[in-house]
Order: sequence, then structure tokens, then C-alpha cells
Amino acid sequence: MQKLLDILASGIHDAKNQLFIAESLISDAEKRHSIDLAEARYALESAANRMSRMLTSYRVMRHESRLSLLPVIVSDLCAEIALDQRNHLAHRNLALDVECTTDEAWPLDRDLVIDMLNNAVQNAGRHARQRIRLTAEQQGEMLVFKVDDDGPGFANLPPSRGTGLLLAAELARMHVRRGHCGSLTLSNGSPLGGARFELRLP
Amino acid sequence: MNMDFTDKRFLVIDDQAMAREALRSIAQTAGAFSVEFACNYQDAIFRIRNNTPDVILCDYMLGDGRSGQQLLEELRRFKLLPDETIFMMVTGEQSYEQVVSAVELVPDDYIIKPFSPDKLLLRLERILVKKAFFADYYKERRKQEFARALALLETKLNSTAGRGYRFEIMRQKAETLLASGHNTAAEALYRGILDAGEFPWARAGIARTLQRQNRLDEARHEIERVVASTPYYFDAFDVKATICLAQGDTDEAQQVLEQVARKTPRNYLRKRLLAEAASLNGDTETARAVMSDVIANDNMPGAVLAEDRLALARSHVAHDDRIAGEAALIGIRDSEVQNFSLDNQSSYAALLAICCPERGKKKFIGLRPALMSTELAIMNRLDVLHAALYLNDAELADRQAESMMAGPDAKSAFSAMRKLYALYGREVDFRELQKQVALRRIHHT
Repeated sequence: MQKLLDILASGIHDAKNQLFIAESLISDAEKRHSIDLAEARYALESAANRMSRMLTSYRVMRHESRLSLLPVIVSDLCAEIALDQRNHLAHRNLALDVECTTDEAWPLDRDLVIDMLNNAVQNAGRHARQRIRLTAEQQGEMLVFKVDDDGPGFANLPPSRGTGLLLAAELARMHVRRGHCGSLTLSNGSPLGGARFELRLP
Repeated sequence: MNMDFTDKRFLVIDDQAMAREALRSIAQTAGAFSVEFACNYQDAIFRIRNNTPDVILCDYMLGDGRSGQQLLEELRRFKLLPDETIFMMVTGEQSYEQVVSAVELVPDDYIIKPFSPDKLLLRLERILVKKAFFADYYKERRKQEFARALALLETKLNSTAGRGYRFEIMRQKAETLLASGHNTAAEALYRGILDAGEFPWARAGIARTLQRQNRLDEARHEIERVVASTPYYFDAFDVKATICLAQGDTDEAQQVLEQVARKTPRNYLRKRLLAEAASLNGDTETARAVMSDVIANDNMPGAVLAEDRLALARSHVAHDDRIAGEAALIGIRDSEVQNFSLDNQSSYAALLAICCPERGKKKFIGLRPALMSTELAIMNRLDVLHAALYLNDAELADRQAESMMAGPDAKSAFSAMRKLYALYGREVDFRELQKQVALRRIHHT
């Protein structure tokens, strides 16, 4: 079985390398012809993220996944989500507001948490009317991320979860510190009127 | 602060031509002034030595059994990376994250492909801000002004700007405390960090502080946990091996090092440690093969030291191959011999006395008064013991053995001592010495 995982991992590694070559060619063309192909690059990066997420899911399902904790400055993390998503959302006339009220560093798995939040913002983007809001704040021993939108909210609660959300919930639970573990909650409690994705990390 | 990269020189290191082009293009779009290439490990070191770039973008996989992490470690080992230079690891997979989160020696950051010029720029700007924040500390640390370095870190820890760097400040503080011999303070700090997050480097730090305090069983327990949970963290295996050696568990030390050395065939610092462990473990064949490999292949200028040639000569002597031993000793330049510390001088004279008595015996006898009274490091002490036994100087030999048995190296040196006494048919004397040292210890307590 280890062999299958190795084959998958090395295939994904090669594919991401090729996507990077493609992205560099696109960005080169943008510069040379003064055109904006950000949406093409966004699609490439989304494809790469999908593949990584698939590999992570597989590892988590086989209980072979281990978090890589790094102290990450929370506001830096929010800035990366904004950089990854804002442009794309603007194309669809959606605004992404980011509010980060903590200047702390937090021990978390940077790439996995960024992917979870990117995925949450993308999901919100499918249902939002005009705006999405990402907030990050410290509540006692927990770091709380919320993604709110002004869409119609979930039709059923709890909503049926796709692979991305199931994985996010599992990864949240894997963040453990001082006897607390992380959690993921989906609700219709958004002050913007729509759905809320709430990720709590110890 | 100047966040402009238009006057910065970039070096892109990747063994794949297409990937190099891609990195160059992205770096140029991000505003790089000039971009140079290195297509392999050696080429990268050559370029960095001769004209240090401002920003290094290095792929994690460099081909030919080399990784970007190894390159980074080598650059730090030979002090080829100034604090101002940015080293960014580029990787196509998440597994490098596991390495970064575990090890002590980390790049300034890493970035996962594919990424946009904007993303690269964002990350590089953050590194500049961080380097500026720590600049005065790095300066004091480099000058080994530990007290001043610690004072600066303390100020930073309490500053508003330092909130986001809290963990990094604590980590630097613990390392500086450890480097300046404040073992208990370092231990307390590492424990504090560990309470905030299960960082493997912090637990390894605890093991290192415990080892320095000679609390070996606790140290071993902590490092076993690290080794079991983070197989990528090779330095932790080295720490485990040195703890095993101090405990006299030379067999386990050698096994651990052999296991990691197979995964890092070109880490020659680790191989030196392996040779020492093998030598103490009585596996002279391995010690000899490993030291020959080190001297033949650790090919950075200045990498092979006179100590290495002594170690090789030692391994030949252990095989009773005195011609090869002498050849290894002749490889040491006269100027090096003249600048030897007493430790190395003793080994040099002892090994030469065995390999080539007409040249070495006089030198060795000349050192005898010093050898009767001074403290020596374990490997050097064993060489002196060997030569003394060889030259039938029982008094000098027993003095070395007693001193080792009573000292902190008793456990690690024990089996090597016993073998040497046996080699010269003096097992009975060795047991007698053991008894005497034990009795003296009882009387003292």
C-alpha cells in the first residue's frame, strides 16, 4: 500500500511542477503583452490545490497523515487567503473583506489551514450575492476563523458535506493542544444573512 | 524599508531546465534585477561562494541523491550564507513541510509550486521584515556576544512588533542559552515552548539540555519520542547517538547512525560521528571504511581536517595496518602538527609511535610527563592508552585507564579499553584496575 501512496505522491508532484511551468508561461505572456490572465492562473492553482487535497484526504483516511506545526502569524495567513481569492471573486462582482483582530503567531499547519480556508471562501463564493467576510480572532485559548456570506444560507442543517468539508473537519480535529482539539461548525449564523463556516483551532 | 527587489540578485537552483526557466520568469515578473542559474549542487556552492546572491530560490529535489535541505545545511556548515541573504526552498509537494516543522536548521521560508509572482513577492517581503527585526540580534550572536544577544531578545519578546515572532524569539533565546552553557534555563524555556505546541525541535532541545546536565536516561527518553514521531528529523538521530555513546550504549549509537547515514549518504559530519561510534564499538572495519569515504569525498575546500586524518590513522592502527596508518599521518602537514592542541598532539604522537616507532617513539616519550597529568578527550586518551600498552609502559597505560574509568567517559570508553588490554594480554590487570577505581569511589562517598 505504501507503494500506491508513493506512486500517487510522485505523480502529483510531477503534475504540480508542470502546472508551475504553465503558470510561469502565462505570467510571462501577461507581462509581454500587458494583458491580465489572472483567471487562467487561478484555474491552474485551483487544480494543483485539488490534487494536493486529494492526497491529503487519502493520507488522512489511511491514518498516515501528520500535521506539520509551524508558528504562523495569523494576519499573514489571512493576507494569503485574500491574495489567493480576492481577484477571482472580484471577477464575479463579489467582495472579500478580511478582518484580523489578533497580531499573534499560532502553531498550526500552514498549508493545510490555508487550503481549508481557501476552500471555504470558494464555497461561500458559489452562494454569496455580494460579499464574503473572513474574520480571525483569538477567543481565550482558541483561534477562531469565520467565513460568512450574504447568500441564502444552507437549506438543511447540518448540511451534507462534500470531501473538502469532511477533510477540513478531520484536519481541524487533528489540531490538538493543551487537551483541546479543533472543530469545524457550519451554520446559518452569518451576520451578513447567509452561511457561516467556523473553524476553531486550539 | 526598501521592499523593492529591482536591485536584488537572484540565484535559481534546480536540476531541471524547464523548472529553472519557470522560476526565472516568475522571479523576473516579481521584479528581480538579475537571475542566475545553478543546475546542480556543486555549481550552486561555487556560485554562492564566489558571489553571494541576495535571494536564493532552491528546489528541494536537486537530483543525484542531493536535496535542497542538504545544500542549506552545507552552506551553514561552511558559513557561506550571510544573515542578509534570503534562502527560499521551492517544492512541489507538501512533504517538505514535515521537514521544516521538525528540524533546527530551516530556510527563511518555503513555497509550494505552483505559485504566482505576487505570492513570491509577498513571502519575500515578509522575510525582509523579519530579518530587519532580528538584524541586531544576529550581529551579536555571530560575534558570540551571548549576554548582549540575550538582552536584545528579551527586549524583542516584550515589544509589540515582536508579538508575531514570539516563538522564533523564544527559540533563539533557548539556543543562545544552550550555546552559552545555561543548560537549566534553556531547558525551562524549551519546556515552555513545548507547552505551547508540540514542536519536535523543542523536544530535541530538551534532550540536548538534559544531556549537558548529565541526566542521560531522561535525555534518552525525550529523544526517543522525537525520533519515533519525526523520521525526517535526521539531526535528532545524531543527538540520540551522542546520548547513547555517553550511556556506553555504543552498539545502539552505531546502529542509529548507520540507519540515518544510509538516507543521507553525503552528510560527512554524520559519517565522522559514525566512525567514532564504530570505533568505540569495536567495529574497526566500519570505522575505517567510513573515514576513508569522508577523506575521499568530503570535497569542500577546508572540509577535511587534520583530526580526520588522525581518525583514519586510528582505524588503520586498529586493523594493525601500520603502513596505511603511517601514510594517513604523513598526509597531515607540518604546519598543522605545530598548531595542534594537546589532545591532537597526543594522538599524533601515540599513533606515530605505533606505526613508525623510530619516528614516533621519541616524540611520544617527550610528551609523557604531560600525558601523566593532563585531561584529554576520550578518543585521544584511547590512542595514548594504545601506544603506552604497545610500548610496554604500564604506568602510563594504567594512568590513562584509571582516569577514563573515573571520569564522565567511563561508559563510552569501557569496551574499547577492555579490548586494548586484552590485545596485549593484560586482562587481569584491567580487572584489577576496575576494582581499585570502584573501591576508591566507595571510600569517597
